[in-house]
Amino acid sequence: MNGHLVKDPYNIVITGVGGQGNVMASRVLSNMLVRKGFKVTIGETFGMSQRGGSVMSHIRVSPTAVWSPQIPKGTADLIVALEPIEAIRVLADYGNPTVKILVNLRAIYPVGVITGEDEYPSTTVIRETVMALAAQARFLDATDEAIRLGNPILGNIVMIGAVAGMKVLPIDRELFEAVIRDGMPAARVEANLRAFAIGEANVA
Amino acid sequence: MSLDREQKEGAELLLMGNEAIARGALEAGVRVAAGYPGTPSSEIIETLSRFSEAGKLYVEWSTNEKVAMEVAAAASFAGLRSLCVMKQNGVNVASDFLLHLTGSGTRGGMVLVTCDDPGALSSVNEGESRHFARLMEIPLLEPSDFREAKEMTRWAFTLSEAIRNVVMVRSVTRMSHASGNVVLGALPEIAGKAAFCCDGPVSDPDCGPVISTPVVAKHRLQQEKLRGATTLFEESPFNAYEGPEDPELLIITSSVCTLYSREALSLLRAEGRTGILKLGTTWPVPPALLKKRLASAKKVLIVEEVLPFLEDQVKILAAEQAHEIGIKEFYGKNDGTLPMVGELNPDLVAAAVGRILGIDPPSVPAEYREKLTALTALVPKREQTFCPGCPHRASFWGIREALQRDHRGGFVCGDIGCYAMASLFPAAGFHTAKTLHSMGSGTGIASGFGKLGPFGMEQPVLAVCGDSTFYHAAIPALINAVHHRADITFIALDNSGTAMTGFQSHPGLEVNAMGEAAPMVDIAALCRAIGAPVVVGDPFALTETRETLNRLLEEPGVKVLILKQSCALSPGKKGKKTFLVRVDETLCRGDACGCNRLCTRIFRCPGLLWNRDRKKAEIDEVICAGCGFCAGICPAGAIRNEEAAKS
Amino acid sequence: MQERVAEPAGQRNGQGGQKELEEQVLRTGLCTGCGACVNLCPYQAIYQDRTVLLHPCDLAQGRCYDFCPRTPTDRDALRRNFQEAADCTPELGAVKGFFITRAADGNLRCRAQHGGSVTALMALALREGLIDAAVLVEEGEGLLPRSVTVTDPNEAGERGRSRLVVSPTVAEFNRIVRGDAAKIGVVATPCQAIAFAKMRALPLSESNAGIEKLRLVVGLFCGWALSWRKLAPLLKKKTDIARVIGMDIPPSRYHTLEVYTSGETIRVSLDEIDPCVREACRSCDDMTAEFSDLSVGSARLPEGWETARGWNQVIVRTKQGMDLLELARRRGVLEFREAPPGNLEKLKAASLGKKRAAERFFGRDVADEETTQAG
Ligand SMILES: Cc1cc2nc3c(=O)[nH]c(=O)nc-3n(C[C@H](O)[C@H](O)[C@H](O)COP(=O)(O)OP(=O)(O)OC[C@H]3O[C@@H](n4cnc5c(N)ncnc54)[C@H](O)[C@@H]3O)c2cc1C
Ligand code: SF4
Ligand code: SF4
Ligand code: SF4
Repeated sequence: MNGHLVKDPYNIVITGVGGQGNVMASRVLSNMLVRKGFKVTIGETFGMSQRGGSVMSHIRVSPTAVWSPQIPKGTADLIVALEPIEAIRVLADYGNPTVKILVNLRAIYPVGVITGEDEYPSTTVIRETVMALAAQARFLDATDEAIRLGNPILGNIVMIGAVAGMKVLPIDRELFEAVIRDGMPAARVEANLRAFAIGEANVA
Repeated sequence: MSLDREQKEGAELLLMGNEAIARGALEAGVRVAAGYPGTPSSEIIETLSRFSEAGKLYVEWSTNEKVAMEVAAAASFAGLRSLCVMKQNGVNVASDFLLHLTGSGTRGGMVLVTCDDPGALSSVNEGESRHFARLMEIPLLEPSDFREAKEMTRWAFTLSEAIRNVVMVRSVTRMSHASGNVVLGALPEIAGKAAFCCDGPVSDPDCGPVISTPVVAKHRLQQEKLRGATTLFEESPFNAYEGPEDPELLIITSSVCTLYSREALSLLRAEGRTGILKLGTTWPVPPALLKKRLASAKKVLIVEEVLPFLEDQVKILAAEQAHEIGIKEFYGKNDGTLPMVGELNPDLVAAAVGRILGIDPPSVPAEYREKLTALTALVPKREQTFCPGCPHRASFWGIREALQRDHRGGFVCGDIGCYAMASLFPAAGFHTAKTLHSMGSGTGIASGFGKLGPFGMEQPVLAVCGDSTFYHAAIPALINAVHHRADITFIALDNSGTAMTGFQSHPGLEVNAMGEAAPMVDIAALCRAIGAPVVVGDPFALTETRETLNRLLEEPGVKVLILKQSCALSPGKKGKKTFLVRVDETLCRGDACGCNRLCTRIFRCPGLLWNRDRKKAEIDEVICAGCGFCAGICPAGAIRNEEAAKS
Repeated sequence: MQERVAEPAGQRNGQGGQKELEEQVLRTGLCTGCGACVNLCPYQAIYQDRTVLLHPCDLAQGRCYDFCPRTPTDRDALRRNFQEAADCTPELGAVKGFFITRAADGNLRCRAQHGGSVTALMALALREGLIDAAVLVEEGEGLLPRSVTVTDPNEAGERGRSRLVVSPTVAEFNRIVRGDAAKIGVVATPCQAIAFAKMRALPLSESNAGIEKLRLVVGLFCGWALSWRKLAPLLKKKTDIARVIGMDIPPSRYHTLEVYTSGETIRVSLDEIDPCVREACRSCDDMTAEFSDLSVGSARLPEGWETARGWNQVIVRTKQGMDLLELARRRGVLEFREAPPGNLEKLKAASLGKKRAAERFFGRDVADEETTQAG
């Protein structure tokens, strides 16, 4: 096996809102890790949550064992948030003083905020809150980058690129390419590679 | 990345629990698979449909679970291995047939896979299918990880052939929708011709007619076979013990709770003091194995989700054998150690084990914890609602406007599908939908309400029903309403697909689960044939929908309105905007008297935003699906639709 | 037209939005169906002859509440806005003049309710350019009237006859006031006239923008209106309602409602009709449309009802109203005859009767009434 983990299991939470490609992101990342020889368990909640609700994937990475598809509270090692307040929502449950966190700053407003009933915290508040609680925090505008690439949905891949850029997991561009070439029409591979590269460069 | 034909034996892949189950069936040589979509079970049939091939594997989305089970049973009678798949509620639907099927017995291996949903993550109940195994006296297998999901499903066919009866494999959401490493096994050569041998005497299990009589004799035989299965379970590798030989605490568990239990012991560092007896064969539990493990510990905790199914069995066995193994201290549901509702997780199990062993589960430093607690105030909740561009939002808007005009307190009986959101989150259905039960029940309930006029009920009654639900269970209820002249307005929300669960085919479409052309069964024609007048409309045509509804509400008897518009997420629509929608700020009345934010406050499509600073509505281009419906509701004409360029 | 007075209608006016409107008017059965709260925003609509709420609005203050004739209103302050104190009577409001008239054009009279004075005046106002749009009422489907806007004086002639079911005339005004019309005239029942007066009395702002276009309010006398949901089934039992061309209520001693169909006249006892009276009308205290420029009702003449039904009695209330009537005299559009002695007194008594009934409805001023009776 190439590369090692700081912990067994290494716990990753990928969070976002239905429609952001959360499931796809967790699958791509996990497949990369399976190729590296790890045992990976993904726990996902979807179904009704596809429709505007929060979507969360728990990824457990271990050299040897299958772990529960639900991460115990307070034990996330890495949080990848495709949406800013989802970062905070997940921190509240799974945060701990050593957690690292990557946040896409593009907000998707909950219905309550759209209707003016609830308040959405400002980017400054979100940044400060996250930084005060995480051992390492990185912020990027993954959706904006993806829109520039021509498709906002690529935001999830920009984020995966950024995870690679953080160098907390034994994954890289070659591994990414191998995984997506396997499961994706060739025509879409190029855009995905570019999205990954942008994410990687953004946090490197 | 998902399971396909190209992958080779021996490959280690990341598979979803449901894919692992499908793979197990494929490795067992399944020939016929039938199911009805329902989260969290749908991916099993979906995966199998990718492997379908004429004469080798037939896959169908049946109209409902009972029919699915009948279709699968026929294949078994003809000597083929068959699978039927459903979510927990489906077993209720199929149970009448299941009772007779388990009485008659099967021939080719037949496996029933049910996916339960503890905690109702995507259901409106957390009903359990495990109890059906006991009720129907058939074996129950429960996988605890992905590898086992595949292996168990494969073995279930062998077991079914050994006992000549259905075998039930039960998964849960956290297994079906979780993923993990699975090593692929070989796919067998498909051989064997379908033939139903039925010329022999009733007593001949191979060549007689397949019926459940003579009842007592067949029942006796069924129980004998079940005892045979129990003997096999004693040695089954699916039952395993891990931990010290004489643990302080014995955990008896199954399914995904096995993983939670392991994690709990790891969190508490209690592996040295606690043993886990993980059962893969949970009905009937193997008595000898259980006796051996019970003898080794004084304290016993049963870890399972929702009702005490294992716990009851374990306690009965322990009572029967108490003279040999001594009196035990039991922890589980009945004493409140674990909750009898909702799903479990590692933290709940760790807390339970910690209480029994006197260990505090680890937690983050108190000071840090306080900061985390403060976060909740910062995070607005995410209420669920219909998708941007969803035709159901438009339909319910039309219904609301018609009912408010009608002014007699009319209401909608809701049903199962995406549109259940209208009942679950009142604001999403504009406070019109007031009941929600099982598939098709909205129509049945409406049929009942529709007879209460002579009792003084003046409220008009509506029932809504999706296209898939219509075929599943609404038809008998609608026939009932017609025959009994119930006063109801029945609205079929036809979005051309089983959208809730991911666009599985159904009889209203011209394609089947295997992608072949299929004759479409027309809802309108069916309704007319049973004698109901039918109007077909487009929910996006607001005025027309509203006026039609108001007219129908005035008429007696059963009236049918079909609101047809494909789902915003349907493959044909997703990502394609009909209109580029924008808000003309100079016209927008915002929160002033004259509008007061109709679009963002009441209509609540996620594509519309309220800009607090400018006090104007906005369109979020990324989220807006471009349906253009909101332009028609804005009182100021501020929402503008421009024809989107066809790409 | 009257001078606009800058001060608001009075301190006693209540304040509220849709919620208060619902609590105080719609839920209590006081809604007249005038439509003053409709077509202002997406939240109220008229369905059949009823005002309904489509969605909740949470504004604390709004035009729906401000314009509604049945929300608390300081009537005296409202009167001071438009009418000269010297003209005011306690029974009939402002009376600048009292006349018996009918349309000179016999054809027009044939298609009118009584003397055709209303139609003749509206057509005249259009023809003379005093107004360029008139909001009138026509028969709709199944006895359900429709409020419509007419710009051609000849078309106004086609919109004679009273529809005894309420028509949302103020809603139609609210709709057209944002359009091209610059000078609008309306024919209004008393409740509708109050709504228009309230709209006019507000200080001109964005909220009542366009109200300056309202140039003429011709009021109709009104004893009560009928509820469509109750009337339609009743008449369906008696005749084919598609053939009904009109209805009238002869003087009270007849105690009937006359229903005219293309072939015959059906007489229905008021005992049968009474349950169909719109609930809101039982609490209405205005019989003669006091807040109009002039108001028109059926005449009472010594020759009896058969002659009287071809004439109108007219109360002129404002200078504007008087100018129009005089113009009609000069142009020969209206014929006048001497008002029989005592007519005005009878009208006052009838009007007072309605005011008393309204007071009884609210359980108010019982002592007051007793003193009046004693005196
Ligand atoms: C509901 C109602 C109740 C009435 N009650 C009485 C009464 O108790 N005593 C009495 O003396 N007179 C009453 N009238 C008035 C009377 O019926 C005549 O309208 C009036 O005498 C004028 O006659 P005319 O021939 O000049 O009218 P026409 O020349 O026929 O003109 C009638 C005008 O009224 C308008 N109109 C018709 N129906 C309505 C409506 N529902 N709402 C608003 N405008 C309408 C038409 O558009 C037309 O412009 C009532 C009228 C209505 C509408
Ligand atoms: S409905 Fe129209 S006027 Fe009202 S807030 Fe929305 S865009 Fe503005
Ligand atoms: S008129 Fe104004 S206050 Fe009244 S319902 Fe409409 S927007 Fe709300
Ligand atoms: S009386 Fe007129 S303004 Fe008042 S609620 Fe009824 S329709 Fe609206």
